[in-house]
Amino acid sequence: MSERVDISDISGRKLSGGKSIDTEELTGKTFPYQFDPSLVEDIDLYASTPGEDLNWLEDIELMTEDGIPAVFDRYTNAFLKIHFEIPEGRENEYARKVLIKHLQSGNSYGVWLKHKHAKFPQPELGSWLAESETVGQNWQPPQLDGWQKPTGH
Amino acid sequence: MEQVMQAPTKPGRYDIRGLAEPDAEAPRTAVISGTTAELDAADLSTRRINLELRRLLHEEGVTDITLHNPKARHSIAVGLLLRCRITIEGSLGYFGCGLADGAEIHVKGRVGWSVAENMMSGVVVIDKNAGSLTGAALRGGDLVVRGHVGARTGIDQKGGTIIVGGNAGSMTGFMMQRGRQIICGDAGPGLGDSMYDGVLYVAGKVASLGVDCVEEEMTDADNELIDRKFGIYRLDRPDTFRKFVCGKQLYNYDTLEPSERKLVL
Repeated sequence: MSERVDISDISGRKLSGGKSIDTEELTGKTFPYQFDPSLVEDIDLYASTPGEDLNWLEDIELMTEDGIPAVFDRYTNAFLKIHFEIPEGRENEYARKVLIKHLQSGNSYGVWLKHKHAKFPQPELGSWLAESETVGQNWQPPQLDGWQKPTGH
Repeated sequence: MEQVMQAPTKPGRYDIRGLAEPDAEAPRTAVISGTTAELDAADLSTRRINLELRRLLHEEGVTDITLHNPKARHSIAVGLLLRCRITIEGSLGYFGCGLADGAEIHVKGRVGWSVAENMMSGVVVIDKNAGSLTGAALRGGDLVVRGHVGARTGIDQKGGTIIVGGNAGSMTGFMMQRGRQIICGDAGPGLGDSMYDGVLYVAGKVASLGVDCVEEEMTDADNELIDRKFGIYRLDRPDTFRKFVCGKQLYNYDTLEPSERKLVL
């Protein structure tokens, strides 16, 4: 996995104040592959998905958020904006490659939450990358300090 | 139907996750050979079958499992969130293969309600018939039923492709929001009722259309999709497909809050 981002560091966070909640809002970060198409060129979409075709990526298309091209990350429920110029006719291909790069890099906000909140065993980086660490094997329910179990339970 | 239950080791313990047998453990009875394994489920409870599947996939490095004697139990092979192949030699009950993300599952029998519900990605192939609510709230991936399906197939579907080799019951595509359904046989009354988006292809007769569902011309892209999927799953393609979509007379997305918009993406 790539270097883990410290999500407690919000020094670089810039809130748009808009109606939308995008990945940059949630993480307080942007990522290099949002700006440089060469970083996603070698992504193999077919190898990254189950089955013989694009499978779930068939539903992933280039959209816009705040007037900027963006791809929707359903594992975070947020848009990931794409700031580089996309060649005409390859809009969906680049949207899919940026999304898969984002997921495989472990930068999806939903992936960050897995370490603490996954209740059942699952690969940290989902089904998009082989040899991913397993998380969720030893989940314990959260408990507030000083909380006492109600009688009768 | 026989349902084998294991007595919990600590009766009455409450589990916040709602597990029926919170203290059950994987039986470790599967026969492992390299990256493949054979599991006989004849004497195992639902919980222990699923625990054994997880143990094989997450602890033993197994990627290909054959499950024998499923005995039409409910909720088998659920929540598999990794790339793997599961072959089920028999039939499943309700909610089989649900909540999957990446698994490729082949059921060599029938299935009950809500097979592959909420699947995020992957492939589920059913060799015989499926019950109602097949592919409920499907988010992505391919769900192939070679036989017939019951009512409300793909209810609340938000993505992915459902292929039915036979007939589909009433209210097929009810409240569908994205994705595709390809029905080779007939469709019952109320096809596409209250669908927001997505596409329904039907090769047989349509008993009636639901509210705001209209017919549209097939395009080259539609034919490419059907040809590709039928090639992958080795299905015979009928020549009589018609395409049905949302008429958008009840379409009020512009007034929805951004967060609501994301629910259908």
